[in-house]
Amino acid sequence: LPDQSFVTLATNDSYVKGALVLGSSLQQYRTTRKLTALITPQVSDLMRKVLEKVFDEVILVNVLDSGDSAHLALMKRPELGVTLTKLHCWALTQFSKCVFMDADTMVLSNIDELFEREELSAAPDPGWPDCFNSGVFVYRPSIETYNQLLQFATEKGSFDGADQGLLNTFFSSWATTDMSKHLPFIYNLSSTSVYSYLPAFKAFGANTKVVHFLGSTKPWNYTYDSRTKSIKGNMDDPKIVHPEFLNMWWNTYTADVLPLLEQHGIVEEVTTGVNMAEVTEAVSHISISAPSPVLPTISSEERKERWEQGQADYMGVDSFDNIKKKLDTYLQ
Amino acid sequence: MPLARSLSMTSLNGLPQWEDEDLPVEDLLLFEVSWEVTNKVGGIYTVIQTKAKTTADEWGENYFLVGPYFEQNVKTQVEACEPPNPAVKKAMDTMKSQGCQVFFGRWLIEGSPYVLLFDIGSAAWNLDRWKGEFWDVSNIGIPFHDREANDAVIFGSLTAWFLKELSCQFDDKPNIIAHFHEWQAGVGLILSRSWKLRVATIFTTHATLLGRYLCAASIDFYNNLDQFDIDKEAGERQIYHRYCMERASVHCAHVFTTVSQITAVEAEHMLKRNPDVVTPNGLNIKKFSAMHEFQNLHSMYKARIQEFIRGHFYGHLDFSLEKTLFFFIAGRYEFSNKGADMFLEALSRLNFLLRVHKTDVTVVVFFIMPAKTNNFNVETLKGQAVRKQLWDTAQSVKEKFGKKLYNALLKGEIPDLNKILDRDDITIMKRAIFSTQRHCLPPVTTHNMIDDGNDPILNTIRRIGLFNNRSDRVKVIVHPEFLSSTSPLLPLDYEEFVRGCHLGVFPSYYEPWGYTPAECTVMGIPSVTTNLSGFGCFMQEHVADPAAYGIYIVDRRFRSPDESCNQLTQFLYGFCQQSRRQRIIQRNRTERLSDLLDWRYLGRYYMHARHLALSRTFPDKFEMEPCAPPKTEGFRYPRPSSVPPSPSASQHSSPHHSEGEDEDEDERYDEDEEAERDRQNIKSPFTLGALPQGKKKQHGQYRN
Repeated sequence: LPDQSFVTLATNDSYVKGALVLGSSLQQYRTTRKLTALITPQVSDLMRKVLEKVFDEVILVNVLDSGDSAHLALMKRPELGVTLTKLHCWALTQFSKCVFMDADTMVLSNIDELFEREELSAAPDPGWPDCFNSGVFVYRPSIETYNQLLQFATEKGSFDGADQGLLNTFFSSWATTDMSKHLPFIYNLSSTSVYSYLPAFKAFGANTKVVHFLGSTKPWNYTYDSRTKSIKGNMDDPKIVHPEFLNMWWNTYTADVLPLLEQHGIVEEVTTGVNMAEVTEAVSHISISAPSPVLPTISSEERKERWEQGQADYMGVDSFDNIKKKLDTYLQ
Repeated sequence: MPLARSLSMTSLNGLPQWEDEDLPVEDLLLFEVSWEVTNKVGGIYTVIQTKAKTTADEWGENYFLVGPYFEQNVKTQVEACEPPNPAVKKAMDTMKSQGCQVFFGRWLIEGSPYVLLFDIGSAAWNLDRWKGEFWDVSNIGIPFHDREANDAVIFGSLTAWFLKELSCQFDDKPNIIAHFHEWQAGVGLILSRSWKLRVATIFTTHATLLGRYLCAASIDFYNNLDQFDIDKEAGERQIYHRYCMERASVHCAHVFTTVSQITAVEAEHMLKRNPDVVTPNGLNIKKFSAMHEFQNLHSMYKARIQEFIRGHFYGHLDFSLEKTLFFFIAGRYEFSNKGADMFLEALSRLNFLLRVHKTDVTVVVFFIMPAKTNNFNVETLKGQAVRKQLWDTAQSVKEKFGKKLYNALLKGEIPDLNKILDRDDITIMKRAIFSTQRHCLPPVTTHNMIDDGNDPILNTIRRIGLFNNRSDRVKVIVHPEFLSSTSPLLPLDYEEFVRGCHLGVFPSYYEPWGYTPAECTVMGIPSVTTNLSGFGCFMQEHVADPAAYGIYIVDRRFRSPDESCNQLTQFLYGFCQQSRRQRIIQRNRTERLSDLLDWRYLGRYYMHARHLALSRTFPDKFEMEPCAPPKTEGFRYPRPSSVPPSPSASQHSSPHHSEGEDEDEDERYDEDEEAERDRQNIKSPFTLGALPQGKKKQHGQYRN
């Protein structure tokens, strides 16, 4: 159907990789809907060209240049930068209905049936089930809604500083009114719930239709061995208790995305290690999908472990300014 | 004040006392801590090893170097002995009783300083606990995979533990100074501070970790110094923990020093602390007893290089070796950091200049930068064989000729010159000449390069077309291997080779100190350096007209690359225009600068840093003028009054200036007089120390 589309958002080249895997997986399961990608100016031209191979439409969203109320909203609430970009999906009025999916999701079967749902349909968030997770949701593009959202954002802000808080306040009746707007959890299975409720996962996990890779380490940050077709590295990491999903992501990546990247001369080494730059990018953009469960209350012991895995949060809590404060406690 | 100032200091001629740096060394213990003590990894080894004599002379029994224990190194470099100091022995015994191996001895280098070595392996079982302790005091964690950083934690913990066991034995004195070099030693400093040990600490960086990484990544470093988000840069390069160790050490040290002004600027931005003292690197200089022995060595080794050139350029020797200058660049193969890129570009321009001015000077340029090779190439070896054959032919013909001449003379005849060489001789000679026919150009490189097609030097040579054509006045020889006196090509070691050359060219972009031009200087060989190298900054500060003294400083900091390259070309062209006499005078001046680079002079900056550290740690006992001299401006060599001046100013309107002009200039040059004045200049600031009021002098005052 030409007036319905899946929509995703990539804010940098790393997230483009995720978007490409998402798009390829949707194609693999023969969706009949259009594919649309929103990108920010941080995405390089080359990666944009690759996106155009997979997505029907690639739309550059530059809030700073928009000159409309979005720009004004940004000036008042600069902390909502990425959120405002995401809200732009309501402005895609060439479509009558859309399903928004985060770039760190991937489908495991055809999910076109989602288009039978109404705005705003979404699955519960594993961390606070009375809120929906904004990684997958059904909505109707409308300039009116768009402007209301912007106005709402400017006036009220977001309780978690990101889109999920904003949308949950805006669509605050979601938790209590219409059960048909509650998507089953298998439409947005966050990878973290695999270990937080393992028995449930064992019982229902096989029906999973959409995986959402929450957390600071995104699939593209892992090291993949193309010969054994598996993720390399430290298997004690709780996030890799069930590495199947990561492996599936990487299978799609190596089979469908890598050839495209190679065609465009983007040198990609399949076996590169965890790239620190990308980890930080992932961390700094984590607010796109969910309030991070780890960052604010991390213990000293956990922080030390992260250093020892080469993943110090150097742009945040482990910055040298904080180290200096520590040192100054005993220097006169 | 009674002083344990050693004899070798006071007996130096021309080398002054440092009046306000009197420290009661008998009541002090000095520990100098580095991963490279008895352990050669990189350049710090050279610094510490050459400096040891001067420091040991000053501090005697109270000087200890602290390093890691490696069996192989200890076997060859250290002689075991008992610690003479009972407190040191007691601290060592405590550590040994808790299962850590500690080794004490004398390092068998000049000055034979005491060394205290910790066995990292035997203490490694403490790693987790020590990493925990380090985390607790610093909030810096160490990744499992970084072996070097983990070793640094063990080494640092052992050092700090030792200092703790030692300092707890003392009440009022002796006071302890611990001097840490580079980040690998820094953990010891951070722990000592966190435990509030009564130790005065000094930290020296020889180059910043981040600066090195950024320059290696070909980033426009100096123009963006203040723009970098350094936490982010370090994190992205996966050296965040190392960078934090370095920066935390700098932050914790009582006194922070770097080796040069340029590294001071780098440290200001990469480590966010201005160094308190700049402690330049020196050399251990051996003076020849004969005045101009280095000039004789120059001509001796120049002759050896000329022999090589005769072979290398056989069949193409249409240039006069007497009018051929030898330039060279040497060092690690870092194409842009070492400035090989700019040098090649300048050579291309120099070639053009020499050709259009129809100069009879030829320049042969050596690149001594090791790369991967499959040994010598055939053409190069053949060249030397051909030369040998011609030599043998000449010898045998000479022999026959000599006999005939002798016989004729015995008979009382003048030999018939037309008959003295018979047909055989002519044939032999013709055959020999025939064998020197050559159908290719003299090779650019002496070795078969493994990655010939991607070699940046060779590719640049291909691009600018310096292929050793007959018409080229600049010839290039790439020798991608260290020199050796056993080489069949060029049987010289590095020092001999440098002595035989006319000019060393080091237009580096990143060079925290730069031992290569310093080594040239002490051998009396002029060199080109830049104001981005520590050495260049140092010379700029100490010598009013460096070019006259054979130190050409290219401005790569404030000029565009093209302008820098033109300046370098001008230096090279100016050098080519000097007469032989001018070059000799210039070499004499260059060699005189070696006093400046002697540890006996430069060691005082370290003394100053120690004094400053003491005054900050024990302010009641060690006073210091609040604005005491942190500057490296002891004195300046003035502009020489006699000619020849710097070549850039000496450019004659006509490139063919006659020898007669030189004669005029010579009369205005008096070597002895000038040398005496330079000696006076070294002395002057310090002889003034006896001025009235007994007030301590600031060195800045003595600038000429």
